[in-house]
Amino acid sequence: MHNNAFFHFLSLLLFKQKNKHIGAIFISVIIIFLLSSVLFISSSLQKSLQSMLKNQPDFTISRLQAGRAVDTPTEWIEKIVQIDGVSAVTPRVYGRYFFAPNENSFLIVGVDFFDEQSNRSLQELMETTDLKSFFAMPSMLVGEGVQKFMTAHYYSDSFSFKLPNGSFKKVAIAQQLPSSTNLIANDMIVMPLELAKEIFAMEEESITDIALNVPNDAEWDTIVGKLHLLFYDAQVIDKREISKAYKSLYNYKGGLFLILYLITIITFMLILYQRYSMVYSAEKKEIGILRAIGWSIQDILKLKFYETLVIVISSFILGVVLAYIFVFIFDAPLLQEIFLGGENLANSVVFVPTIEFGILGSLFLFFALPFFASVLIPVWKIAVTPPKEAML
Amino acid sequence: MIEIENINKIFNEKSSEPFEALKDITLHIAKNEAIILSGVSGSGKSTLLSLIASLDKPSSGKIVVDGELISKLPDLHASHYRAKSIGFIFQHFNLLEALSVEENIIAPLIPSRLDMPTIKKQAQESMQRAGIAHKASQTIRELSGGEKQRCAIARALVTDPKLIICDEPTANLDKANSLKFIEILSTLKALGKTIIVATHDPIFDSLPFESRVIKMEDGRIVDE
Repeated sequence: MHNNAFFHFLSLLLFKQKNKHIGAIFISVIIIFLLSSVLFISSSLQKSLQSMLKNQPDFTISRLQAGRAVDTPTEWIEKIVQIDGVSAVTPRVYGRYFFAPNENSFLIVGVDFFDEQSNRSLQELMETTDLKSFFAMPSMLVGEGVQKFMTAHYYSDSFSFKLPNGSFKKVAIAQQLPSSTNLIANDMIVMPLELAKEIFAMEEESITDIALNVPNDAEWDTIVGKLHLLFYDAQVIDKREISKAYKSLYNYKGGLFLILYLITIITFMLILYQRYSMVYSAEKKEIGILRAIGWSIQDILKLKFYETLVIVISSFILGVVLAYIFVFIFDAPLLQEIFLGGENLANSVVFVPTIEFGILGSLFLFFALPFFASVLIPVWKIAVTPPKEAML
Repeated sequence: MIEIENINKIFNEKSSEPFEALKDITLHIAKNEAIILSGVSGSGKSTLLSLIASLDKPSSGKIVVDGELISKLPDLHASHYRAKSIGFIFQHFNLLEALSVEENIIAPLIPSRLDMPTIKKQAQESMQRAGIAHKASQTIRELSGGEKQRCAIARALVTDPKLIICDEPTANLDKANSLKFIEILSTLKALGKTIIVATHDPIFDSLPFESRVIKMEDGRIVDE
C-alpha cells in the first residue's frame, strides 16, 4: 500500500466522518484533562512541600505524660544544646487560637526572635524584618489565609486576642508571611515567644516544644536515641514523618481520582466496544464495503489502527495541554478546593509547574491500550466475516 | 475463463436448520461472454455471484478463474483477486455515503502500490467512462439513484478488471437509467470485459449485445 495514498484516504475518512469521532474525542479529552490536572496538582503540591519541608526544623521535641501533651520545661534546652551535632535549638510555643464566631482557628507559633531560628524560612524572614519597629508594640507576622480572614472581619491592621482572664490583647499585623509558604503557613501567626505565652496564659518557664536542627543526616537516629535517653517522657518528631503525613494526604486524594478514572475509562471502553461491535453499525458496513472492493483484513486493521492512533494522540495531547493551562496558568479553580478545601482557612496556592513524564507516559499507556483494544478487537471480528455478510 | 464445478453452498451448515442456497452448480463462462443469471428472488443468483467474486466461500466444489483456484484462496490473495480482477456493481450500490464520488472511486486503488497522481488519473478516466465526472466532488448523499449507479460503475471499472459482476443492477433505477446502464454494459462488452448480471428485470430480455441467459431456480441451474 502506497503510504501517501493510504494517509490521504485516512485523512479523508477522519475529516469527512468527524461527527462520528467527535464524541469519542470529547469524552477522551475530558477524562485525560481531569486526570492530568489531578496528577499535575498532586506532583506540584508534593514538590512545593518537599522544598518547604527542607526549611523546617529537623526535629521538634515536646513532653508527653501518660500520652497527654503537657508543657515542656525550658531547662531541657540547656541539656539539648550540650549534645554534639545539634544546632539552632529554639524554644517554641505552639497552639490553636479559636475565633469563636466562625469556628475558625489560627495556629499561633511563638518564637524567640533574637535566637538563631531552626526554621530556615523564618530565619530569612527575620533577617528582612525591621525588628526595632516590630518590637515597638506587640506585633505578629501572619500567613496569607489569616491576613485575608482578618481583613474580611475588619481587622486589617491589628487583631485583639481574647486572653483566658477575659481581657483583650491588641496585636498589630506587622507583615504577611510569603505566599510561597501557604501550603503549611496559610493559617499561621508568628509572634514573640512571650506574647504567645501571654495569649495562652502559660507559665514563664514553660514552652510547648523545642525545635532543633541536626545538619548531618547520618546522625539523626543517634540524636533521637540520645534525646530519649535524656528525657524519658519526650516525644521526638522528625520532619520525615511530617513529609510522609502530607504525602499520604495528597496521595489519598489523588488515589480517589485514580479510582474514578479507572471506573470512567472502563465504562467508556465498554461503550466504544459496543459501538464497534454493533450488528448493524455504520462501521460494519464500511468495513464490508472496503473488503468487497479489495481491501484485505490487514489493510482494514491498518486503517482502523491509524484512525484510532490519531484520535488517541490528539485527545491525549489536547487533554494534557488543557490540564497544564488549567493548573499552572489558572491555578486549578474548583480542583484546588478539593485538594486544599479541608483546611481551616481558605487557602490559595500557586502551583509550581512540574511535569512527571514517567507518570504521563503511564497515563498514556493506560488510556491508549484499552482504547485500541476496544476498537481493534471488534473491527477484527467484523473484518474476518465474509464481506457480503458485513455489508448487510 | 471461469470454470465452476459442482459448487454447493449451505448456510448455517452446523445448525439444526441448514439452508442449501446452491446445489451442485457447474458452469463454464468464456472470456468476453455476457451471462444473464435470471430467476426469482431466493433462487441463488446473488449467492453464486458472491462466490465468483470471492466475497464468500463455497461449502464444496471449486471455482477456477483464469487458472487460479479462487474458491480456496486465503484472505490476502482473495482480496488481491477482488481488487485486480473483479468489478462488482451491487444492487444497493454500497458506496461510502460520507465521501465524494471521486473519493469513492479511488477507494479500491488505495491498497495498490500506486501513487496518488496515478490513482487520481485512473479515477478521472473511470468517471468519464461512466459519465459521472461532472459530479466528482459531490458527496454520495447528494446524488440521485441513477448517479449513484454510475458512481458504482466507475468504482467497479477503476481497477480495469477483467470481470464485471452486477447484482440486480437496475432494481433501483427507472427505465431511462436502466437503458443507460445497458448502454454502458454494451460498451464494456465491446472493450472485451466478461460480464455476469444477476437480474429478474425483463429489460435484459432484449440486449443490444450477444448474451447467454442462465435460468436458476431453488439453487440449481434449470435452463441454459
